[in-house]
Amino acid sequence: MNNITRRNTLQLISAGLIAGAGYSMLPRKAAAAGSITVLNWQGYGTDEAWSIKAFQESTGIEVVHDYYSSEAEMLTKLRTNPGAYDLVVLNAARCAQAMAEDLIAPIDYSKVPNISSVAENLRSNENFNKDGVGYAVPWVWGLTALAMREGLPKADSYAVLGDAAYKGRVALQDDAVGVIAAAALLTGQDMNNPKDLDLVKETLKGFKPNVKLLWSTEDQWNKSFAAKEFDVAMYWSGGSVRSKRVSKLPVDFVVPKEGGIGWVDGLGVPASAPNMEGALAFANWMIDPKFYVEWATKAGAPASSNVAAMESLPADDLSRQIHKPEYIATMSIMSALPDDRREAFNNLWQEVKAFYAE
Amino acid sequence: MRSDALLNEAVRGPSGPRKHRMLPSWVATTALLLPTYAWLTLAVLLPLLTMFVFSFMSATPMGKAPITFTLKHYRAFVDQPYLLNIGWTSLVIGFWTTLLCAIFGFLAAVALARATVGRMRETLLILILLPFWTNGLVRVFSWTMVLRENGFLDNVLHMVFADAGSISFLYTRYAIVLGLVHGYLPYMILTCYIALVTIDDAIIEAAASLGARWWTILFRILIPMAAPGLISGAVLTFVPVIGSFMEPRILGGKVGVTMGTVIEDQFTQAFNWPLGAALSFTLLAVVLAIFATFSGVLRRGAAA
Amino acid sequence: MKQIGRIYLLVVLFFLYTPIVVMMAMGFNESQLYELPFTFSFRWYDALLGNKQLLTAGMNSIIIAVITSVLATSLGTLAATALARRTFRGKSLLQLLLLPPIAIPWLITGTAMLVFFYWSGIGRGMHALLIGHVALAIPYVVLVVGTGFKTIRADLEEAAMSLGSTPIHAFFSVTLPLLYPSILGAALFAFAVSLDQFVISYFLATPGYSTLPVQIYSAIRKGFTPEINAISTLLLLGSMTVILIFARFAKPGDTSDKR
Repeated sequence: MNNITRRNTLQLISAGLIAGAGYSMLPRKAAAAGSITVLNWQGYGTDEAWSIKAFQESTGIEVVHDYYSSEAEMLTKLRTNPGAYDLVVLNAARCAQAMAEDLIAPIDYSKVPNISSVAENLRSNENFNKDGVGYAVPWVWGLTALAMREGLPKADSYAVLGDAAYKGRVALQDDAVGVIAAAALLTGQDMNNPKDLDLVKETLKGFKPNVKLLWSTEDQWNKSFAAKEFDVAMYWSGGSVRSKRVSKLPVDFVVPKEGGIGWVDGLGVPASAPNMEGALAFANWMIDPKFYVEWATKAGAPASSNVAAMESLPADDLSRQIHKPEYIATMSIMSALPDDRREAFNNLWQEVKAFYAE
Repeated sequence: MRSDALLNEAVRGPSGPRKHRMLPSWVATTALLLPTYAWLTLAVLLPLLTMFVFSFMSATPMGKAPITFTLKHYRAFVDQPYLLNIGWTSLVIGFWTTLLCAIFGFLAAVALARATVGRMRETLLILILLPFWTNGLVRVFSWTMVLRENGFLDNVLHMVFADAGSISFLYTRYAIVLGLVHGYLPYMILTCYIALVTIDDAIIEAAASLGARWWTILFRILIPMAAPGLISGAVLTFVPVIGSFMEPRILGGKVGVTMGTVIEDQFTQAFNWPLGAALSFTLLAVVLAIFATFSGVLRRGAAA
Repeated sequence: MKQIGRIYLLVVLFFLYTPIVVMMAMGFNESQLYELPFTFSFRWYDALLGNKQLLTAGMNSIIIAVITSVLATSLGTLAATALARRTFRGKSLLQLLLLPPIAIPWLITGTAMLVFFYWSGIGRGMHALLIGHVALAIPYVVLVVGTGFKTIRADLEEAAMSLGSTPIHAFFSVTLPLLYPSILGAALFAFAVSLDQFVISYFLATPGYSTLPVQIYSAIRKGFTPEINAISTLLLLGSMTVILIFARFAKPGDTSDKR
């Protein structure tokens, strides 16, 4: 697991200290038959109160949450808290890493009956599988593409991010992988492995006069958009549905001709999960059309991996209109990055940000 | 243990302070220091030491990637020269924040110590410290609402001058410094106040009656006497400001790129703890070097 | 001259309270996105009353902050006494060791703690949170109380002892009253450090147990609603009332007695 051994002395010191502070060390939360702990972003489907309530009523299982605020942190929490989590939401691009470290266990799909109507393309995604064994239940997918203020001419290319007409009116996502993907697609390269990184860098630097801010959270996006700080931005498909429906913002989601930046989130069961049964029952609940329709229409969600769930949405539903089924086959999906490439991406983005800040 | 040691000293004789000093005092000293430093070591210093060890590793030692030891992360400023610019920006932001805090904080402390008494003074002091009891994130977000276009600032301006344009300066370095000054000013006020409150009125009255002008009183009495407070305040401001990342990110928009945000990105996006840690420790070294130089200058100044 | 000083203090207070007033106002604003113009509404306070999680988190924050404040202030004052009043080798090193917890960004300290607490068996939870908070508050206390020590004269204590007072008695009867403003200030700071500690709390809290800053920090991606403003307002007004009452009835002005 790691190359630094535990030190008994430290345990003694800490135990003594804790006793001194008047707090006995509590054992890890006992895996009461009736509870599971989910690790996810906050406010991302699994923690909808009405759904948790209904799930508990139908199965008797209580759902507790812990959150992460970056994917790196999700992995850290999995590693440093064995036995704490029963279900984890993880992006396909990170799933490979969790699989490689044996952090998550193979899925017993017989406990997840709804898997039968999940898009085959997603289920067999190479990032969710190792040696022909599935390690995650594909949950939702979506696109990162462009969002524009209603009434503006709809852009057909990521080139709009550098269009002089939008001087100081553009917001980029503060995410190395996302912006590099957009620039790579714009310059006709493979977004997961662009050959000409210098061209990507120059393209991104070329956006400088337009860039007003770099957003990192949906909240920031909404508040800045509401305050009319920008007109064009990179954005998530599901986010645009929420912005439009929940926050009543005049947003148009646009997938340019170069294609959207696709991603898939899966539900994985940590190898150390105390309650795998309960976790799989909840995973099944999460891809159930009944849950999805309510989530998508009440709150606004990315697209369900379950084709049947998408088809149960009303035909004029915003989410259904944005997430066209053919995308599953055609969009490029973010995949796992080897360490050196990830580092190169991050250094490139730092350099571009430093250039923006000058 | 501590009281025993002290009591023993006392029991050995109702003697003057000289006698106490001659007794072996290491027991009492240790007893006073041990709980604090044991706690600090366990909770912060050992974890940070772990991070320090990480900073020499080729990759974050949490995965399965083979780990080798390397110094490459400490070469980052050479390999990625743009980091020098970012580092400089951080220092400049830290410098202005500290300077502005020092000026306004010192004056506020003088006003507090000289122009108020008793309960009014205590109430004011508490009122100055209370904004700190709200979460920093919430405060920074509130500043964005004040500073943004058509935010509170613009609204107030338009109440007075209906036709005025926007004076919004959100997403500039000024906004970052403003947010940071707001966050750290109370530290400076408090430390300066603690130093100033012990000044005897008689000294200043004597100086005034001997014909000293206000600037003489300020530079010859108040500032030298407040020096320990100014120094502690500067430490409590400059040091954390250099590594701050929330204020630059939220108030700075695209110009909010500082060492703090670079380090944060290494931890949250890049999952490159060794580089993030190496950058932090480099930063710490720079901060310590600055204070070493600074205190050297001060000491020479005091000796002269 | 005094008038100018008081006016200046009002200006400083105005500056310090600008975002606080905005924060409070937005808790009464209808818009979830904090949009202007302002539309008055109790909507978020209603929502808050039904949000047990947030209320519990607020309560937890206060409990942790109070314990942190008491522990850190006592420990830090002891250490500051030794650092200020005793000569021993390695003193500057000990003083230097106070800086890393302040200088290293909390995010790194938090990550380091999460990993180290896991390896050492301390784990996560309220006890871990307390250990972390106290440790991070100690340097502030030592620095603030140390400043106090630098400005009071050691000879008063020595005089007391030469008149037959024991060192402990001299400390409590002479030094402590003189240090009162710095210790009070340090305690208020320790309290503030704890309340502000979103990153470390976030890493060290266990699922199901959380504090207000943790709620705020994990909500940052989805976006926090004005409910957060509402509870922050209540917390601030509550603590303001308590502390101002305390200041009103506490023995006034040890600071003026000593003149």
